[in-house]
Amino acid sequence: MIGGIEEFVDKEKPEGYYERLIAELEKVNSKLHIFSSINRQISSGIPFSVKDNICVSGVESTASSAVLEGYVPPFDATPVERLKSNGFGFVGKTKMDEFGFGTFGINCKDHPRNPFGDSYVTGGSSAGAAAAVSVMKYHIAVAESTGGSISCPAAFCGVVGFTPTYGLVSRYGLIDYANSLDKIGIIGRSSRDVRYAFDIIKGSDSYDTTCVDHQINGENRKKLIIIDQLMANVDQDILSSFDKFISKMQNLGYSVEHRSLPLIDKALAAYYIISMAEASTNLAKYTGFKYGIRVNDFSKGYNEFFTEARRNFGPEAKRRIILGTFVRSASVKSRYYEKAMRFRHMLIDALNSIIKDGFLISPTMPIKAPAIKEAEELSPLKSYSMDSITVPPNLAGLPHVSFPYDYINGFPVGVQLVTSHFNDYALLDFVQGWEEEFNYRFNYDVGAI
Amino acid sequence: MKIGLEVHVALPTKSKLFCSCSSGAEEPNTAICPTCLGFPGSRPMLNEEALKRSVTIAKAVHCKVNEKTHFIRKVYFYPDLPKSYQITQLEGAIGHCGYVDIERKRIRIRRVQIEEDPARIIHADDYSLLDFNRSGVALNEIVTEPDIESEAELREFMSELRSILFYAGVDIDKEMKVDLNISVGAEKVEIKNITGIKNLVDAERFEEKRQEELIASNKRVATETRSYSEETMSTVPSREKETDEEYGFIYEPDLAVYPTNGIIPYATVIASELAKQYSGKRKETIKTIKELVMFDREALKLIQYGAGQSNIETVINAIEVLKRRGKIRMPEKGFGKMLDLLDKGIVLDDDAIAALNDGEDVEAEKHGVSTEEIDREILNVLSQRPDLVKEYKTNKKVFNSIVGIVIKKYKVSPKHVAERLALVLGE
Repeated sequence: MIGGIEEFVDKEKPEGYYERLIAELEKVNSKLHIFSSINRQISSGIPFSVKDNICVSGVESTASSAVLEGYVPPFDATPVERLKSNGFGFVGKTKMDEFGFGTFGINCKDHPRNPFGDSYVTGGSSAGAAAAVSVMKYHIAVAESTGGSISCPAAFCGVVGFTPTYGLVSRYGLIDYANSLDKIGIIGRSSRDVRYAFDIIKGSDSYDTTCVDHQINGENRKKLIIIDQLMANVDQDILSSFDKFISKMQNLGYSVEHRSLPLIDKALAAYYIISMAEASTNLAKYTGFKYGIRVNDFSKGYNEFFTEARRNFGPEAKRRIILGTFVRSASVKSRYYEKAMRFRHMLIDALNSIIKDGFLISPTMPIKAPAIKEAEELSPLKSYSMDSITVPPNLAGLPHVSFPYDYINGFPVGVQLVTSHFNDYALLDFVQGWEEEFNYRFNYDVGAI
Repeated sequence: MKIGLEVHVALPTKSKLFCSCSSGAEEPNTAICPTCLGFPGSRPMLNEEALKRSVTIAKAVHCKVNEKTHFIRKVYFYPDLPKSYQITQLEGAIGHCGYVDIERKRIRIRRVQIEEDPARIIHADDYSLLDFNRSGVALNEIVTEPDIESEAELREFMSELRSILFYAGVDIDKEMKVDLNISVGAEKVEIKNITGIKNLVDAERFEEKRQEELIASNKRVATETRSYSEETMSTVPSREKETDEEYGFIYEPDLAVYPTNGIIPYATVIASELAKQYSGKRKETIKTIKELVMFDREALKLIQYGAGQSNIETVINAIEVLKRRGKIRMPEKGFGKMLDLLDKGIVLDDDAIAALNDGEDVEAEKHGVSTEEIDREILNVLSQRPDLVKEYKTNKKVFNSIVGIVIKKYKVSPKHVAERLALVLGE
C-alpha cells in the first residue's frame, strides 16, 4: 500500500491547500479539542504535529499544564528541528495528559475526544497526537511514551503508534516526565508513514547524552509469544477478537508460543515508582520564577512564592509529586526506588531471553476506549492498572508498536508487538505485512486531495 | 573537638559543567542558555575537561579514583537553584578514601566530587537579584573526615590544601566556600558557606568558644546549621536545613556512567606529588621542585627520569642549569650522562651541554672541568693577585671580580665557582 505521506510529496497541491487544511482542522478541533494550538502559518511541507511536551521554537509548549502557561521555548526539540529541515511543515501542538500523567487523555483542560465517538476518550497520554492522526489524511504526529503513552491512544484511535528503542531518538527539547523512560516516537496512518518520519528523527545528538547512533535491524521472526500474565485482565470481547487475529497470523505462517513470566506482574509497581520518583524531581523546577505561570505577589518569602505557583498543578501531577517524593526519601528509598531500579534490570533480562527468537504479542489495552464519564470515575489505582500491558516494554526500553487489527462496535482495537532492542524495523515490517490484509477505517480525512 | 570540612572550589574550566556557556563572564546574566537556566526541554552534557580536572585533584589528595563515575540529583528549593535540584555526586563520586598529610598527622579525605554551582544571589534592602552566569559553573568539592582537632591543624590543613590545589590550577584565595562541621562535645554544628580561609578560621574560633561556653555552663549545644557573619565575626542559626531524607537523591538519568581509567591527570599534580616523594621532608626542596616543574612538562619529565638515577639535589641543580641556558628540552639519555658527570664532580661548560643535547658523547677531559681543577685555578688567581685578596677583606664586592677571572678560563657556572671560592676564602 503506497499512499500516505509519500503520495502527498509527489502530488500537486491545489492552490490554497494549506489554508483549506487549517480551516478544516480548526472546525474539527472545535468539536474534538485535539490541538492546543494550530499553526496558521503553515504553507509547505508534509504536515506534522507535535505533542505539547515537545518544544517548538517560538510556540507555546506547556505539556498541557497550567504551570507552564506562557512558556515559549527559544529552541526546537531535535526531532522537530530534523523534521522541519527535511520537508515537513509544523501544523500544531497536540493536547495530552498533563506532563504525560494519564492513560485516557483526560487530565487536562478541554481534553481531546475520540474521532470514533466524541463522548469517548482518545487514550493517553499522547491523546491529541493519536486523534490528530486519525483525523488527518496526510500527517504524522511526533509523540512520546513513558509507560505506554503512544501505544494506548494509538490503539483507541485506530492508528499506528511506534515507540522506538530507548536512546534512538534524541530527547533534547522534551519536557521531562521520567527521563530514564521517556521515548519520543511517531504515530502515523501506516507503517510506511511512521518509518518515513522515524528515519529522519533518529540518531545521535550532541545535546542528549543518552541518544546513540546504533545499527537498527529488521530481523523478521516467525514466532509470536504470548505471556499469559499479560492476558489475565483483558476484557472478553477483546480476547475473542484477539484469538481470531492470532489464528490469522498462524495461517500466515507464524507459530505461537505461550509463556509464563510471573515477575511481569511487578512491572506496573516498579514502573510507577521509578516514573514518579523521576517526575517529582523534574517537576521541582516549576516554581513560577523564570517561565510558565507568573506569580506577581513578591511580598512573601520564597517558599510561599513557590507554593503559590505550584498550586497550579493538576490533581494527578500533585499526586505523583507527593508519591514520587516519598519513594525516594532516604528512609524508604531502598524499599521502593532502589528495589524498583533493580527490578528493572531483572525484567530486561527476563524479557530479552523470552523474545530473542520471536515477537511478544498481546492486545495493546485490556479494554476498548471507555466513555469519558466512565474513565473519569476510575480510581487512580484502577487507572494505573490499565497500563499493565504497555508498561513492560516501556520499562525495559524495548521497541514496540501498536496497530489496529479489528473494530468492535465501531471502535478500533489495537495489538501491541514488542521486539528486542534495536530490532525496530522488524516491527514496522510486520505491520506492513499486516496492512496487506487490513483496511484502516477513519471517520475523518482532513486534508485529502 | 572534631572538625570536618566540605571545601568547594571552582574547577578551572573555560565552559560550565553541563553546557558550553563561559565560566567567567562578568556582565550579569550574559553567559546563560536553556541548560544552565534549567529551561524545560533542556538537558545536561558533561564537560569532559571538568572530569579530568577533578580526577587530577582526587589523585593529588591521594584518593582512590572510581573506575566509573556517575551523577545524582539532590532536590531542594531555593531561588538560586534553577532546576530545584543540583546535579552532584555521592557514591559514584570521582574519588574517595584519600588523605592530606600535615605536620604530625594525616587528615583523611572522604570524597572528591564534581557538582554544579547555583546562581549568585545579590541581596539588596528589600529585594534580591539573581545572576545566572554562575549557575552551572563546575565546582569541585573535597569532603574530609572529622580528623582536624584544633585551630592550628585547621590552618595547617588549609595551607597544605591551598598548595595542592594551586598546582592543580585552582587558587583558593580567589574563590572558595567551605562548610565547617564542628563539634566540641557530642553535637555537630554545621556552618555553611564560609568564604575564604580567614573567615573559616575566624568562624572556627568563634564556634569553638561558643560551644565550649555552652558546655561549661551545662547548656545543650543544638545540632543545627548556622551561618557566619563577616561583620560581626560570629555565627548565627540559619534557615532549617533539609536533611538527607528530604534531598531524596536519585540517579541523574540524563547523564551516563563515565569511565575514568583513560583520564591522565595534569602533570603539575604529578610533579607536586613527586616533589614530596623525592625530597623527603625538606620543605625548601619541595618548593624548588614544584616551582621547577610547575606547568613545565619537560622539567617534569627530567625530574621523573633523573630521580631514579641521582640524588634529587643533583637533579634539581642540573635542571636549573638547563633552564637557565634554554636547554630544557634535553633528551633523557643526554640528561642521564649529564647527571653521571655531575656526580663525578665535573662542572660542564656550554659546549658540553650543547653536545649532550645533540646526543653526542662528552669526554669529561675536553668539555668539563673537575672541581679540583677549579679549586686549583682559584688558588692560582689568588696567588697571582694578592691585591685582590687584600681588598676583599674590606670590600666584599671584589668576590665577584675573582669569580669573573676564573670563569674567563673555564666556561662553567658562576654559581659553582662562587661556591668553591667561598670555601677557599673561608679556609
